[in-house]
Amino acid sequence: MAPQVLLRPQDAGQSHMEARARLYDLADMALAAARRAGAAYADMRLGETRREFVKAREDRLETFDERSNLGFGLRVLLDGCWGFYGARRLDAETVLEAVERALANARAVRPIQARPIVVEDLPVVETAWAMPMGVDPFAVPPGAKADFLLGVAAAARDAGADFCTATLSAAREERLFANSAGSRIFQTRTRVHPQFDVTAIDKARGRYATRESLVPGRGAGWDSVLSCGLVEEAARAAQEARRKLHAKPVTPGPRDVVIDPTNLWLTIHETIGHSTELDRALGWEANFAGTSFVKPHMLDRLQFGSELMTIVADRSQPGGLSTIGFDDDGAPAQAAEFRIIEKGTFRNFQMALGQAHLIGLPQSNGCAYADSPSSFPIQRMPNISLAPNENRCSLADLIGGVEDGLYVVGAGSWSIDQQRDNFQFGGQLFYEIKNGALGEMVRDAAYQGRTLPFWNALDGLGDKTTYHLAGTFGCGKAEPVQVAPVSHGAPAARFRGVTILNTARGEV
Amino acid sequence: MFLSADEVKAVTDRLLARCAADACEIHISGGEEQSLRFARASATTNMTTAEVTLRISAHVGGRVGTVTTSALEPAALAAALARAEEIARMLPVDPEYVAPLGPQDYALSNRYDESTGRLALEALAQAAATIIAEGGRRGVDTFGCASSGRRFEALATSNGLFAYDRRSEIELSTTARNRADDWSGWAGGSEHRADRLDVGELARRACDKAAYQQAPVDLEPGRYTVIFEPAAASELARWVLNSLDSRAAEEGRSFFSKKDGGVKQGERLFSESFTLRSGPDDPLSPEGAIGWEGVPHRPRVWIEKGVVQTFYRSRAYAQRTGAEAVPHPRSFTMAGGGLSVDEMVAGVKRGVLVTRLWYTNMVDPRSLLLTGLTRDGNFLIEDGRIVAPARNLRFNEPLGEMFSRILALGAPQRCWRPLGAGGVAAAPPMMVEGFTFSSKSSGV
Repeated sequence: MAPQVLLRPQDAGQSHMEARARLYDLADMALAAARRAGAAYADMRLGETRREFVKAREDRLETFDERSNLGFGLRVLLDGCWGFYGARRLDAETVLEAVERALANARAVRPIQARPIVVEDLPVVETAWAMPMGVDPFAVPPGAKADFLLGVAAAARDAGADFCTATLSAAREERLFANSAGSRIFQTRTRVHPQFDVTAIDKARGRYATRESLVPGRGAGWDSVLSCGLVEEAARAAQEARRKLHAKPVTPGPRDVVIDPTNLWLTIHETIGHSTELDRALGWEANFAGTSFVKPHMLDRLQFGSELMTIVADRSQPGGLSTIGFDDDGAPAQAAEFRIIEKGTFRNFQMALGQAHLIGLPQSNGCAYADSPSSFPIQRMPNISLAPNENRCSLADLIGGVEDGLYVVGAGSWSIDQQRDNFQFGGQLFYEIKNGALGEMVRDAAYQGRTLPFWNALDGLGDKTTYHLAGTFGCGKAEPVQVAPVSHGAPAARFRGVTILNTARGEV
Repeated sequence: MFLSADEVKAVTDRLLARCAADACEIHISGGEEQSLRFARASATTNMTTAEVTLRISAHVGGRVGTVTTSALEPAALAAALARAEEIARMLPVDPEYVAPLGPQDYALSNRYDESTGRLALEALAQAAATIIAEGGRRGVDTFGCASSGRRFEALATSNGLFAYDRRSEIELSTTARNRADDWSGWAGGSEHRADRLDVGELARRACDKAAYQQAPVDLEPGRYTVIFEPAAASELARWVLNSLDSRAAEEGRSFFSKKDGGVKQGERLFSESFTLRSGPDDPLSPEGAIGWEGVPHRPRVWIEKGVVQTFYRSRAYAQRTGAEAVPHPRSFTMAGGGLSVDEMVAGVKRGVLVTRLWYTNMVDPRSLLLTGLTRDGNFLIEDGRIVAPARNLRFNEPLGEMFSRILALGAPQRCWRPLGAGGVAAAPPMMVEGFTFSSKSSGV
């Protein structure tokens, strides 16, 4: 077995820069070999993904796991067929073997390649990009992380929770993109997500209530963990879980709802983010992740929502989990600055390499991601956000416009059909709104709806003072499943006549 | 990267010899996998991957630090081990510390077939070609995924444990959609041996479901007699199995918690025909040898004739409560009965036949209220026969009640699972009464 490139200097006595230079050498070697063998195009992602997962449960630190995966993936286009080989190795022997294996795969699928793969030219770029980060989370001593999470759990229990689990997830991707056209792009991005869930028990009544944290994952460093207010939120959450235990059950039926961005981000993700992915609309995900009710002929025609609704894609929001300089096809981030929905009208799909020409467009808008260097890059979401109202509108203004409704906070249980039409979302906290004012907490609520009627029922939109960027580390798609991080920003928003479900009784 | 038991042992022996901690545990897994996808009768993506992952846990003074790496070089592994020890020393003492296991008695695993593990991508492309050809004959578009590979898993500890297990796998699933794009059908299967997967039969089944000329009908939400095909039944049963967490039940946050603090073990909670088993000896869905935390998987009855028999339990919680550590089951079989789907349909006045489910999620763990949708092959049954395709529906159903209303079961069948799922399942077709559909979905 040949020695492999190890990116961190402590692993092999070489400097970080020397290790990085070796990545370029491996890429040059593989891409040249692929072209010599007849590939019309080839690209490669090489590098390391570091992760950390720490978990505290009550007074016990259960898990502290540092993870590192080195690897690469080589994609070749031969006679209109993709071939791909990926390995969690970074050495010359494996990379050269990959060229042969990827080409062999392209030849293997030729009998079922009725429609040749065609890719567009993207700008050739040689550059580097690094996500701005404060304190490197991987440099923080393990004991400090343990103390932080045990402090969160203690704060929850001191405030009345029976149980509390607190976790920290962190990731860093250091990745070189290289293609046969000459692009060489080295990028580094870091993300962190501290979370908790608290439980309050009423054994006498055989009832319990939970409250999960609202703090979102961020493309940021350890300083954002310390400043996110998780300890204070844990104490508040414990009290809210206790209140939830004794809250009155929600009355099911159609109600006006004001949805907090801590909940609305997930609804945006499921109903808009996934429905406007071009690979779904083309049927490429029909066997698993699903298709979409949005079709190419609906571009510029479909009234997706009310005129208040503008949905913006970007790769530039500070702290965004999809914020990056270039996507995993090598398309620049500027391509991913576009409007998916403009004043209610559907304007753009999200696209990766080789898709735009299928709907008569010139090139990708920068929406590719591979969840590890050794995964095949596919279309994934950039940051996708609901633009806030340009006119002044506070949360109180939105609530003030509701006679009898609910205010929904935090994401709960979720489900949506494979074409992204019929959905059901829970939440962490539900409050009554009576005569324009916030009322009592209620329990056992969820809202159910259909995507287009729901977004066309949007009649109140908060301004930037109500805006909040949330998101997830774990959006799943494709076969084999790939997991992508993504952020969604939103202001608070008001929707009329939404169907409310009582989950304890299963009633609508 | 697929490693033999000898190759793994060479790595673990070398690392354990370097261990300066009180104790050490090394988990190694890896393998080779290939897959291809196709849509509208044309290839879209494919990949071959090779990977290995080492999880090194160092135990120092009742604290455990873990480092996971994909590197195999001795210098990199030595650095990972040293880092795990360093982490452990910086952590607070674990009040529920559990030492690594010593030697265990593992069951023989019979999930490996060399020829299946070494299938080339050409074989998967040939399977896809068979499906595409069937779709062409039937006038429907076909979409799908085929994957195969072989994986190993091993565990070694400084207390003398060494265990190694391996498996080969192949899975194939396909969705067929009519040319009007308003109806679909699905079929899928997964096996440890490729010769047990009948590609032609899967293709026919998916195309049969999709090739309806008749426009789908809308059904009103409400309570229906429903026949779930095995893929759907296994998904519902897995939610119940996953809820059998001893700690959650004893802490009062589970369907299986009693009001006074006890657990509902030994009580009849479900229909007498509802039985869930698992084990390495299971002929349809064999469990692996090595369970979570290294605890051996044994033949276990989780629910027998509607009565809960067994809960799963971590080693730390078992130590605290003085109970047996029981690993969470990754594979299982739901026991069946004697009726075929056709015989069930013949007995239904008005109901729905469901092929598979989508996006199921727990809404309320207290009642096991599950939501989700039907997908790729919903059919209206009237007067004992299938009369029309029926558009998809969302359900909200308490599983505790649903598994108490089983009317009939068929023979269990091995069900489709993706390669990366880490477990398989077998379930019978199942007919239940009074299943609650709560809203319509246009999703096809």
